[in-house]
Amino acid sequence: MSAYKRLLGILALLTLAGGHPLRAEIPVDGITSRAADLVDHMLGLITGFTQPERRHQPQSQVRPQEIATGGTTVDLSNLSQPTLIEDRLGSALNQSSGQLRITIPGGGARRGDFSLGSSETRSGHLLVLDGTADIYGHLTGNLVTIRGDVVVHPGGVVGGDVLTLGGRVRDEGGEIGGEVRTLRSTTLLSPATRPEPAPLSAWQSVLRRTAGVLGVFLALTLLGFGLVMFGRQNLEIVSDTVSHSFGRAFVTGLLGQILLLPTFGMLVVGLILSVAGILLLPFAIAVFALLVVIGVVGGYLAVAHAMGETYTRRRMAMGTLVGSPNSYRYLLVGLVALSSLWVAWALFGWVPIAGSIVWGAAFFASWLLGTAGFGAALLSRAGIKENFAGRLLPPEALTDEYLWATPQFGVPAGRKPGTRTPSRGL
Amino acid sequence: MRRSIAVLGMMLWAGLVQAQTMRPFETFRQNHGETRLGARVEYAAGNLRLLPGQADELYRMELSYDEDRYVPVSDFNNQTGAVLLGLKPAGQGGVRVVSRSQLSQQATVALSPAVDLSLDLTLGAVNADVELGGLRVNNLHLRTGASRTILRFSQPNAVRCELAAISAGAAEVSLMGLGNSRCDEVEFEGGMGRVLLDFAGQWTSSSRVEVKMAMGELTLRLPRRIGLRITMDRFLSSFEAAGLIRRDNAFQSPNYQSSTRHLDLDLTTAMGGVNVEWLD
Repeated sequence: MSAYKRLLGILALLTLAGGHPLRAEIPVDGITSRAADLVDHMLGLITGFTQPERRHQPQSQVRPQEIATGGTTVDLSNLSQPTLIEDRLGSALNQSSGQLRITIPGGGARRGDFSLGSSETRSGHLLVLDGTADIYGHLTGNLVTIRGDVVVHPGGVVGGDVLTLGGRVRDEGGEIGGEVRTLRSTTLLSPATRPEPAPLSAWQSVLRRTAGVLGVFLALTLLGFGLVMFGRQNLEIVSDTVSHSFGRAFVTGLLGQILLLPTFGMLVVGLILSVAGILLLPFAIAVFALLVVIGVVGGYLAVAHAMGETYTRRRMAMGTLVGSPNSYRYLLVGLVALSSLWVAWALFGWVPIAGSIVWGAAFFASWLLGTAGFGAALLSRAGIKENFAGRLLPPEALTDEYLWATPQFGVPAGRKPGTRTPSRGL
Repeated sequence: MRRSIAVLGMMLWAGLVQAQTMRPFETFRQNHGETRLGARVEYAAGNLRLLPGQADELYRMELSYDEDRYVPVSDFNNQTGAVLLGLKPAGQGGVRVVSRSQLSQQATVALSPAVDLSLDLTLGAVNADVELGGLRVNNLHLRTGASRTILRFSQPNAVRCELAAISAGAAEVSLMGLGNSRCDEVEFEGGMGRVLLDFAGQWTSSSRVEVKMAMGELTLRLPRRIGLRITMDRFLSSFEAAGLIRRDNAFQSPNYQSSTRHLDLDLTTAMGGVNVEWLD
């Protein structure tokens, strides 16, 4: 009951904090970002909008005005490389702080909707920002619009090229002397219309991170189950190595991490020097990378297995009836334990300072255990050698009955007062 | 468990969806009374479709490209009346290997049927479908890398074509309806791959065709109604000359002398087979 109340209290706190933007935000790491984006999209679908769409809406409310000259110079005389022009305009707009200033050699720039009357002639190039350019008259130079359309009306003439970045060109019977280019989307935004990145609410932050942690957990669970299914023997040996030789495994893992790059370099150089080995180089690189990934992930899963096994056996030793004490269960329990710190980070990572501390603790614990797991995988040669697995007894003696309640070699089971139960490193 | 699988599936899907950013680009130029156009299309990777467009537009290109790796090119030279269209690598270039559905750079190029055309195509890793029927092709140059290219003259070329020069690397190339091309000379140079030269069409003029193949399979689809003469220089290639009469170093169709339209085919092959299919 008290736990239930505590949970309610936490939820109430989160609800209160949820409405307020959080400035002291810890950046979401790369692993969780995709899953987090998915959550964002789903939220967007529910609420009827997404942030990117909001960003690209045309700004029709901008008051038409001339943009003052000064600031960065952007030459619009050659529009043959639209992405280059976009980059130049982007840097010009980004450099403007406060009042927007831009210099167009041989032309000018305007902001908001622009219309050139049927009796008007404007010479030079023209940049129109955040508005539609309606051409009824005669523009002699090139025309560029950012986040706005170009409409050339009957009788309207654009003497040069037309480029729209984030807009369309509608030729309604006018004449365009040059080439028309359209990049229908653009990341360019003028400083005044550039929105502040919306700060995440606590709920969004928690949802993002929880989705990320859940995704990683599921992926590791699936990998682990596959490993138990197809390589149980190896997993158990690596797991036992972690249990019985943790310190040795950690030191080996640490050395392994340090020597990883030099070993890779030696492998590459050796193959190159052996001339014939050059042909094997791509294959060797791929195999090396694969082995490292298998070593790290497999080692981490073995640590989870060892933790789960230890925990389960302790519970059994205390007389708790455990449904099916097998490797699947060990692995699942271990992964839950390993994920617990990350779950704590997902829930409270938004809290200033404490969030950082929880993240640091989760990272350090994961690294420590991952290093031990990698070391155990190296020591046991991926679960082939049992030298450090504490398996000094013949395999037939390694039954659950022996491991838990039975002294060696068939002495009737029974726990005598004062005797120590074989612990397997508990 | 089902929920877990569903969540995992959604996450994987989200990862795939974000793997590539495609960007639409469009360019065109109004026809202001031009009578000729030199069109150079350079397309590095993806799918390309080239076809006749509207008479009031000199050219139009619609692209959907991978903005991380490529930049669109569209440059018309007023002095020479030539346009360069296509995609070029932005720095590293290359092909992004994600999944088949995501390798979806698409380009559609439409050229005016109202102007005389000198067409130069340079294709990289491209799946190309080029329809030249109905255009006014004066000259044709096609260079392909590791591509699959179908080039068609579904309708007769509106003007006489001086030369069609095609060179293919490791490619699968089909040239369809060459009898409609009205080309005085066709030169084909192939590295390795499978090549189909289909000479169907209206055959309003004679043509001389030179084919050089290094390695691969060459299929010739030949109409019976025109006079045919094949001169061969082959090393380890097989050739089934059914229906042809050997005369000196050449194989000749029985109606060669009496025909008003001739196809003189000069074949040089190193390794591979040359198949002949007859069109009735």
